[in-house]
Order: sequence, then structure tokens, then C-alpha cells
Amino acid sequence: MFIPRPRSVLAFFLSFGSFLVSAQSCSFTLKGTVIDEHDRTPLPFAEVFLLEVAKGAVADEQGRYTVAGLCAGPYTMRITHLGCEPVVRQVDVRSDLELDVRLEHHAHELQEFEVARNRPDENVGQASDAIDKEAIERAAGLTLGEMLATFPGVTVLASGPTIAKPVIHGLSGSRILVLNQGIRQEDQQWGSEHAPSLDPLTSERITVVKGAAAVQYGSDALGGVVITEPVELPRDTGMQGEVRAQGVLNGRGGGGHGMLQGGVKGLKGSGWRVQGSGRYLGDSRSSRYVLSNTGVRELGASAALGYRDHRWIATAYYSYFARELGILRTSHIGNLTDLNAAIASSEPWYVSDPTYGIASPRQEVQHHMAKAEVGYAVSDRGRVQVTYGYQADDRQEYDIRRGGRSNIPALDLFLITHTGEAVWKHWLGQRLHGKAGVNGLHQENFNRPGTGVSPLIPNYRKQSAGVFVLEHLPLSEQWELEFGARWESTLLHVAKYDLSGILINPEHTFRNHAFSMGANWALNDSLRIRFNINSAYRPPHVSELYSEGLHHGAAAIETGDEHLGSEGSWKAVLELEGSSGEGRSTFQVTTYADRIHDFIYLLPVGQQLTVRGAFPVFQYTATNAWLLGLDARFGQRIARDWVWELRASTVRARDIEKDEWLFQMPSDRLENMVLFEFPSQGRWSAMEAGLTSTLVFQQRRIPAGVDFASPPATYHLVGCQVSAARTSGRRQWRVGLRGANLFNTAYRDYLDRFRYYADARGIDLTIWVSCTFGAPRTE
Amino acid sequence: MKTFSSMRTILGSIPQLTVLASMIALGACKKQNEDVLQPSGPAVNEEEVVTTVELTFTDQETPSQVFQMRVNFDDVGDPEAMVDTLPAQRAFDVVVRLLNESVTPAVDLTGEVRAEGTEHQLFFEVMNGNLSTSYADADSNGRPIGLVNTAITGAASSGGELRVVLRHQPDKAADGVAAGQVLNAGGETDVDLIFPLTIE
Repeated sequence: MFIPRPRSVLAFFLSFGSFLVSAQSCSFTLKGTVIDEHDRTPLPFAEVFLLEVAKGAVADEQGRYTVAGLCAGPYTMRITHLGCEPVVRQVDVRSDLELDVRLEHHAHELQEFEVARNRPDENVGQASDAIDKEAIERAAGLTLGEMLATFPGVTVLASGPTIAKPVIHGLSGSRILVLNQGIRQEDQQWGSEHAPSLDPLTSERITVVKGAAAVQYGSDALGGVVITEPVELPRDTGMQGEVRAQGVLNGRGGGGHGMLQGGVKGLKGSGWRVQGSGRYLGDSRSSRYVLSNTGVRELGASAALGYRDHRWIATAYYSYFARELGILRTSHIGNLTDLNAAIASSEPWYVSDPTYGIASPRQEVQHHMAKAEVGYAVSDRGRVQVTYGYQADDRQEYDIRRGGRSNIPALDLFLITHTGEAVWKHWLGQRLHGKAGVNGLHQENFNRPGTGVSPLIPNYRKQSAGVFVLEHLPLSEQWELEFGARWESTLLHVAKYDLSGILINPEHTFRNHAFSMGANWALNDSLRIRFNINSAYRPPHVSELYSEGLHHGAAAIETGDEHLGSEGSWKAVLELEGSSGEGRSTFQVTTYADRIHDFIYLLPVGQQLTVRGAFPVFQYTATNAWLLGLDARFGQRIARDWVWELRASTVRARDIEKDEWLFQMPSDRLENMVLFEFPSQGRWSAMEAGLTSTLVFQQRRIPAGVDFASPPATYHLVGCQVSAARTSGRRQWRVGLRGANLFNTAYRDYLDRFRYYADARGIDLTIWVSCTFGAPRTE
Repeated sequence: MKTFSSMRTILGSIPQLTVLASMIALGACKKQNEDVLQPSGPAVNEEEVVTTVELTFTDQETPSQVFQMRVNFDDVGDPEAMVDTLPAQRAFDVVVRLLNESVTPAVDLTGEVRAEGTEHQLFFEVMNGNLSTSYADADSNGRPIGLVNTAITGAASSGGELRVVLRHQPDKAADGVAAGQVLNAGGETDVDLIFPLTIE
């Protein structure tokens, strides 16, 4: 529960019309011409970007640019153009300003240039939200899923206090793609108790694309995409670093993070970075009792090396992430009778004094990721980029077992994934530009023997190859269009033992295609409409095809269906964004309709009697579904230092075949935030304090006969946030406090799979401090 | 000029490639050198699953009179049950055996339960029948396990049921648990089944 700071975050959301505007002085215009320094000819289509307010403009064919609606103050202006070294300039806006910018343009010595727009949220017509470095810092101590849940339309699918996965527009798990540093994160697709293994602090910015984006990213991007963007490596600067520390009340623990980066002497254009982080938490508490066995330990490290010159870009990146987490002890149950007893009881049957120890049931996860990327500018109008990614995921799950077997993993999986991509970014003619490429994936899932438990997910090998093209066409200042297509084929080989113990090797081939079309229409400076319609697909996961047996923790027998085909979806998103009162009021409304055919879900098909008692049986089944939803955000500057923001989201999901609601869909939610910004004093700046209120309504739209308990009641939580920065010399200190569930409310969330067993976390306070040292970072 | 910059690039990327290669090697060496599609081992033997529960009633006065209640959930479909009728007005020693018959030869799991007596307890619930049971064994804390018991039958009755529950890691100190009440026991259910109970 953090509160985004408007200067950095809201402004990103509201790229038209700055939010931080004081009434009298926010109508200045900055304009000018971008000129080639050598021959003094205008440079068409250069991009001008003001970093502080995240506002920008693209120059026209005569090289002329205009950025309107600016407040008085200093700005950092970045001008980029195809074939030019980006230029960063400071401008002080006190009145309307005309500023010509000269760029060194070399047709043959290309510096960094961006043919297509690189920011994922700048895809035409695509609705998205992002949090920047500062907001990530203020969310210290939260997992990726929890961090993103402050965006309207994004919620969390949790398994107790330790496991959280993002839900975008009602879809989660393998219907959401997580792109970590440009590589598809494959470790979270095994199941809903598997959270993505990544450290959010390694990212400069995390973007959530709230629409299907299969053309660009391939399969699984049905509901949306979470993109953690790599921080650009330094090039010519001296050594810089950053240290962060945090203390967490609920769980009586904390974490730390350290980073060092610099250039390489004698090799201009080279840069390096090393980074490490850790987190250590004991048992969490709900408002009334200890949530036993919910400790977490995390350790992460990464290293990056890069080189850039006129034509080449080369980067190598490696990251390691390890996490050990306890699974709420009381959620480990035997059969349906135990489950019903847990639901009927107001308190968990197992509560012990809080400890830092982690006992079974628990998970140990290790994620290795290596990436190598090489880009080469073939010409003034084209660049080829080749990326290779390697991931190794090592997962052990320990159950409570008899005969001293609790220390033998009940699930011991090893997943290896190679991904490769070659993309050609290009300009075709005056306006049309985009990218075309091929990508491939090779994945092997291996169950290490010796568990003494039949694996829920069999061994498999998955190979896929795809081709895509995505073109962007700016028609005029008001209109931009984008369209794309992809074709992909997936080959799946499975190795499993049938009921009589004979090895079988079934094979599946899935051929899929996707299309996208998007449009941006800027009606005027303060109103913009985005529209896109995208198709997406997802081949069924092996577990959906071949699960067979008891799902521990879910107290259910799950059976796969090997005849299932790919899921497909058509999702249309319409977003309206604008401002009024010279930027004092801002709004953003996103509506979407998602038609999913062959939507795979678990259908209850009766009960099975075992020696352990009765278990419900669920069968993976496909149906057709509609998801309709609306996200809204409204911001208002109440007074000079006061900002109020309202966020709301709602989704309705129907099973068309059965004329029934879909299971486990987020309920309606409403968030209010009030923020006060203190004026800077001496060396103290960026001081602010905020209060949030989150109201989550009871989910009343549920299918009959699927759930074990009725959805939890409506709840209301209050949070707070205070932060400030202090500069001393070349160091910048930032400190902050974040409070969640301040009134220690007892509540359970519908999207928490452990809501049957225990309340969610009670009051939590996190105090954090960070220090940046060395030369200031170049943007 | 062009050649020079390319050369520099290649030279510059040598350390990167070395790092990358060693990382990949590090990750890869953890994996068993095995074709994922042709695993060398056979199908997993479920080591600790209880498939069969067997209650042996021995008449305390005439030990040659032995009665059994036995059920096997090994195969798919209906379980195989074999349930003797108990004679009325008698006292019995009741011994419980837990077996895994999904593997050949079958494995007796009773020893494991006894060895971890502090973490296990069996519960017996009689519905509509004249049978009463009491524990006749104890774990290292002096609390019952339920593998060895005594039972007394009353007058003849039919249509009754005997429910047998095995809990793993119950709270053995909770209210009424030592007396055989499952209500506050918590833990995880390893066995929960019902035998028809007829007393003649």
C-alpha cells in the first residue's frame, strides 16, 4: 500500500497535461526546431522529452516541436533522433520559450537511436500504468504483485502472506506474461502457488500493460504484461552507488540493497553494474493471531556489462534470485472434512509464538537468468537486435511427511528455458516505422527422482517459434495508428507414466496467430483517446493437460484433459485520458471487453472417497467467457500543496456456456488518496505525506457449487506514507515510512487462496532509508 | 574507422561473454544429465501413502477368537472391504495396522507411526452401535497413539458405524484429544474412513 508521488508517477499516467500545475503559471509553451549541427537542416521526427513531467513531443517534418501546458520551473530536456547521440539540456521555463536544438547527426556513425518507440507503454492504443524508481523505493518491502496492486485494474492472487501473483483485468498466472529485463519469466507458470522470482528493486521502472499483447510478446499475454525495465548502464561517468535499508514491523525483519556502477577507463562506451539484495522476515501477524510459518528469506544478486558505440550495442546480464518461504502451517490440511472444520473455526487450529524459523510446508526456489544482447545499426534507417536469454529454475517444495521425510522435497523440479529473438527495427518511407522479428523458445521441465511422490506436473519439453511484424504509422499530429501480426507454433513433448506404470510420450502441436490494431487520437492538448483491439493465445499448460491426483494444500483432486486446445482471446480496450482547469483536474477511464474462447478452468465434477476421506474432484475444462471491465482514475489538486486522487476498478466475468459467473474474479474496489506536499526547506526536498483508504467490496458474483466457503465480507483498510529527500554534497539521502492496515483490521480477501484458514496480515509499518552517492546519474 | 570500432566491440565483449558462459555452465551443471523425455527411473513409488487399514479384534478371554475389519483403497474404483461381525458382551484387544499395498511387496507403515507417536493419533468414533474403545498405548509424552486399544461390546446392534481417523501432527495437548475426541485435534488427516458395525 504505497502512495505514488504525483510528480513522478501520476505525470507518467497523464502524459497529456501535467498534474503538478499551479493555477497561474502552467500554460507556458516550449517550442523550437531540431537542427542538424553539420548542415543546419531540420531533423524531422526527433523526439523531445521533459524528464520531470514525462511530457514529450515528436517533431514534425520541418523539425518543429511544441510542448504546451508547462509550469514555470527548471526542466531536463532530452532530445533523441534516429542516428544521433541523445542530447540532454537544462531549460528554465519562465515564459513561453523558443528553443532550437542542434543535434550531431551522423548518417554513418549511428549512436543510440530508437527506430520504434521503445517504451512499452508508448505502444499505440495500449492502456498501461507504470511505477518509477522512486515509487518502487517507497513500496520497499512489498512483493512485485503487491506493488502493482495500486494500479486500477490490477489486484493480487495470494496464497497466504508469502505468495503473491499479479492479476490484471481479472486474469492471472499463465494468462499474464512477466517480462523480466526483456526475457519471459517462466518460473511462475507452474501454478498459482508459484510467485515470480524476481527482485523489483533491480528495475528502473515497472510497467503494466493492461491489454492483450501477443503480437509483440508471444503466447500467454492474454490479460496483460508486466514489464520490468532494465536500468540503462552508465557510460562515461565515474563510480556511483546506492545503498538501501528497510525495517519491517509485521514479521519483525527487514532488507537491504546495494548497487555500484561505473564506466570503464580507456574503453569509452563501456559500463558495468553489480547489485545485491536480501530480505529476512519472521512470522507475520494478523490482527488477532500469529500467522505461523510465514517467514521469508530472499537473496538476490545481479551483474551487468555493456558497451555502446556508434553502431553497436552489446549487453550481458546475469541475475540470481533465491527465496525460501514458509507456507501458513494451518493451511496444510488432509481432506474435505478438515477444510470444512478450518472454515467453520474462527481461529486457525495451529498458532504458535512467532519465530524466524521456517518449517514444512515450505518452498525453496532459485532462479538464474542470463541475457546477452547485441544490436547493430545496419543503416541510418534500420537496426538489428539479437537477444539470447537463459533461465534455470530450481524448485523444491517440502511437505509435512511421515517417517522423517519432511526433509525430502515432495516436489523437486528443474526447469530450463532458452529464449532467442532477432528483431529488425526499421523505417519504411517517411512515416511508417516498426519492427519485425523472429523468436524461439526451448524449455525442459525435469522432475528430479527421489521424492517418493508422483509428480503433479510431468516431465516435458516445449519448443516454440514465432514470427511477427508490428508497424507504427503517425498520420498527423492528432492521429497515430499501429498494426501487427504474429504466427507461432508450439511443440510439446510429455513424458509420463500411465496408471499401470508404463512410460508414455504424448505429443502436442499448437499453432496460433495473433493480430493487433491500435489508434491514438489526440483531440486537443487536454484530451486523448486510445483504442486497441488485440488477439492473443495461450497453449494449455502441461498441468492442464496431464494433472492427475491430489493437489496438496488445495484439498482437491485435479484431473487434466489431454484433448484441450489453445485458449484464444480478443480483447478491446478503450481509454480516455484528459485534464481540465489547466491541469488541476485529471482523469483516465479505461474500459475493456475480453472474449476468451476455450477458457480453461477447473470444473467440479463430484467427490472421490479415499482412505483419507472425501475429496472434491475438479476437471480441467474449456468454456467460452466474456470479461468486461472498467478502471478509472480521477485526480484533483485541491489546494497548492494538496492533491486528492480516486481510483476505482470493476470487472464482470461470465461463463457463456453455463451462463454463470467465473470463479475467483476480483471484486470491485475503490481507493482514495490524499497527499500533502511540504515546501522544500534548506537541504530537505521532496517532502510529502499521504493517507490512503482502500475499500474492497464483497464478491457477490460467484458460480454456484464451486467454492468451499462464501466470499469474505467487504473490508476497508487505511494506509499512510511519508517521505523526504536530503542532499548533502554528492550524496542524496531519502527516508520514508509506509504504514499498511493502520487500524489493524481483521479481514480476508477473496483472491487469497488461504482465506479459508486465516485472516490476512494486520498492521504493518515499514521504515526505509536510501543513499545515492557518486556522480549523479545521467538520464 | 569502421573496422576499428568493430574490433573494439569484439574485444570489449570478451569479458562479458566469459562471464555469461561461466554463468550458464554454473546453472547447467546442476541438472542431471538425462533426457527429460526418457527418465531412467521407473514410475514413482508412493512411499508413504496408506492404502490399507486393518483393525484386529482379539477376544481377551479366548485369544483364539479373532475378528477383523480391513479396507484397501489401492485400486481405482470402489475400495475392497472385509468386515467381521463382532460378538456381543465381550472385551477385546484391538490392534491397528496401516499398510501401503500400492507397492509390491506391501509396506507396513505402522512402525513409522509408532516411532513418531508424538506426532500421530488415531481416533475412533462409534455411531449407533454398542461399542466403546479406549487407548492402551502411549507416546513418549504419555499421550495415547491409538495403535493398541481395548474395546468392549454391549448388547447386539446393527446398522452402526465405526469411524477411524488418523491425524498427523495434531495438537495432542488440546482439550479432550487424549480422551479420544477428534474435535480440537487439528493436524492433517491421513486416514478417515467408516466401517459398518454389526454386533450380534
